[in-house]
Amino acid sequence: MIPTTWFLILGAILFSLGVLGVLTRRNGITIFMSIELMVNAVNLTFIAYARELGSLHGLMWVFFIMAVAAAEAAVGLAIFIALYRHRETIDVDEANLMHW
Amino acid sequence: MSFDTPDILLNLVKIGIVLSLVLSVTPVWVWVERRGSGLIQDRPGPNRIGPLGLIQAMADAAKFILKEDLVPAQAHKVLYNLAPIFGLIPAVTTCAAVPFARGFTIPETISYSSIIGILLVAGAVVNFILGVVALRVTSHFGAMAGATQLNQWVGKITGFAMIASAPLLLGILAWFRSAGSVAMPFGIGGRFFEPIIADTSIGILLIFALSSLGVYGLATAGWASANKYSMIGAVRASAQMISYELALTLSTVGVLMATGTLRLTDVVYRQSGTFVLFDTISIPAWNMFPMIIGFIVFWVASFAETNRLPFDFAEAEAEIVAGYHTEYSSMKFALFFMAEYMAMGTISALLATLFLGGWDVPYWNEPANFVGFLASFVAFLVKTSFFLFVFVWVRWTVPRLKYDLLMKLGWKVFLPLALLNIVIVALLIPLGWI
Amino acid sequence: MFEYLIFFTFAAIAVIFAAIVVIHRNPVVSALALVVSFFSLAVMYVLLDAPFMAALQVIVYAGAIMVLFLFVIMLLNLAHTEEPITRPIQQFLGITGAAGFAITIIYYLLKAAVLHTGGPVEFVSDARAIGVSMFEAYIFPFEAVSILLLAAIVGALILSQRTSAIPGAKENGSR
Repeated sequence: MIPTTWFLILGAILFSLGVLGVLTRRNGITIFMSIELMVNAVNLTFIAYARELGSLHGLMWVFFIMAVAAAEAAVGLAIFIALYRHRETIDVDEANLMHW
Repeated sequence: MSFDTPDILLNLVKIGIVLSLVLSVTPVWVWVERRGSGLIQDRPGPNRIGPLGLIQAMADAAKFILKEDLVPAQAHKVLYNLAPIFGLIPAVTTCAAVPFARGFTIPETISYSSIIGILLVAGAVVNFILGVVALRVTSHFGAMAGATQLNQWVGKITGFAMIASAPLLLGILAWFRSAGSVAMPFGIGGRFFEPIIADTSIGILLIFALSSLGVYGLATAGWASANKYSMIGAVRASAQMISYELALTLSTVGVLMATGTLRLTDVVYRQSGTFVLFDTISIPAWNMFPMIIGFIVFWVASFAETNRLPFDFAEAEAEIVAGYHTEYSSMKFALFFMAEYMAMGTISALLATLFLGGWDVPYWNEPANFVGFLASFVAFLVKTSFFLFVFVWVRWTVPRLKYDLLMKLGWKVFLPLALLNIVIVALLIPLGWI
Repeated sequence: MFEYLIFFTFAAIAVIFAAIVVIHRNPVVSALALVVSFFSLAVMYVLLDAPFMAALQVIVYAGAIMVLFLFVIMLLNLAHTEEPITRPIQQFLGITGAAGFAITIIYYLLKAAVLHTGGPVEFVSDARAIGVSMFEAYIFPFEAVSILLLAAIVGALILSQRTSAIPGAKENGSR
């Protein structure tokens, strides 16, 4: 059996890569994909702990996270489509109408 | 995980059987499709190469290999080359979770009988004929421009190896006959042979998971070709496959509710008895009888999943040239072609497994020995071939729909019907009818 | 031994393709790389004795969400949008911040993350166990998520409508 810590480290690396993407990229879709990567890293951590503790609660959380991610993808991509219709770009720096 | 030599050998045998089945679907069914089209349209169809045009598929394969491989200048090279592989992988892997025959216990020793003799002689004859054909095809196409030295060598080596295997098989036969009976080698005697590669607890979900990846081959091909027709085909295909996956998945829920598990071997074992109607008529306990709505929804959605007429919007030749594979030529096009036929084969096998009792021979309790295995294997092939033939039949019977009608049909007709099927099954189970 | 081989192969694939997602300039390549990364995560779930979650991961993420991403990228033809590297200070802060975060969290994970509850515990995660758990202990979140999904459908529909529902919004008829 592979130690749980290794899965946690893999999750940490993937999460950090997601953080890097969110902080450095400005293409809206890429930022969104980085967020999905972070969510998946958290899912991996949940399942690793679920096996460590022998409980199904972690799995249930992963299930709900997946459902929320699906909802988030639907609404988020609709927002990007609307943004592209109005501004011909999905660069998040250009979407500054509500910027002070 | 531990290594167990007999287990690995048995798995290799299963993989060999399934892969040879899946790979032979394409040449055989191209022939059936073209001859069947001819039959339906009252014309002969391909009849020049070999008896009844049977060697046509091999000639086509040789042609595909020898053709020039073009890549559009504007294409994204890496993804353009990877796309056919993306398309092929889901088609090849999904059949790993389909049980194809009744399991049986392998006997400790095997004694000579005339059936084995006949099988070995038949194998020798078939290998000899195929070897001669391979050599003939190689020498015929080798003279054409564009044939490389490598292709010719591959053809020659294959042909000679197949011819050489014929006397080898006859030698095995002679040795076997003199020995009388032999113990099963490698310690596989006494094992239970379950004819499914991946007998996992998530069976049906595994199939849906892998087949949902099929859309990437189409989408990548369409985008990487840098061609607007390819692009439209790819966008249409991804929208269509997502929409119909819902109906496809929901229509299987009834089957899983009746079985109580996701394991496909259990789904088949549960269907191998009989239902008795009004205490008199007994019919096979196949899921298609109580779940007729789910069966029809799955059947129709399978046409949309495999991009076949009347739902072939990904490659509608009257509207968008050839859709996502407009720019593909040579062997890459052949890979898409193979993927389409393999997906058809897998989904037909799945239809048979879920709704028509899989390998179950009606009104016969298959014994758990080699005879039961062979009989159930033939039954499975017959059922799968029936559904495969319907794909050909429908192609020349039903015209292509309009694209908005396709979406309307998927979301407003088949999705509610699939839900209705779940409700009906949920009512039938407590009544004890299933 | 075999398990470790699988783990390291797919862990490497997951990390490399996740890096491609973040670094690559072409969103289509990013999306496809993310699919590969998610697929290797599904392999991780199988190694963690949760094959049901692995199947869900592939069906939901690779089969549905990423197809949606790819669909939108293709629909808007975003593959050729250039992204000039500007704001060097923010870029630097982002890279160092992410690296620092990674190092810190890995340090603490190695130090004190696993609780050592005493030997391996039995972990049953088949469809039956998950179903029972979901419809007994988690019935309320389950219903809440279904309402959330309904709201998301309605929201997506209104947001992506061509004739905007927002009064006074400029309508762009060119697309």
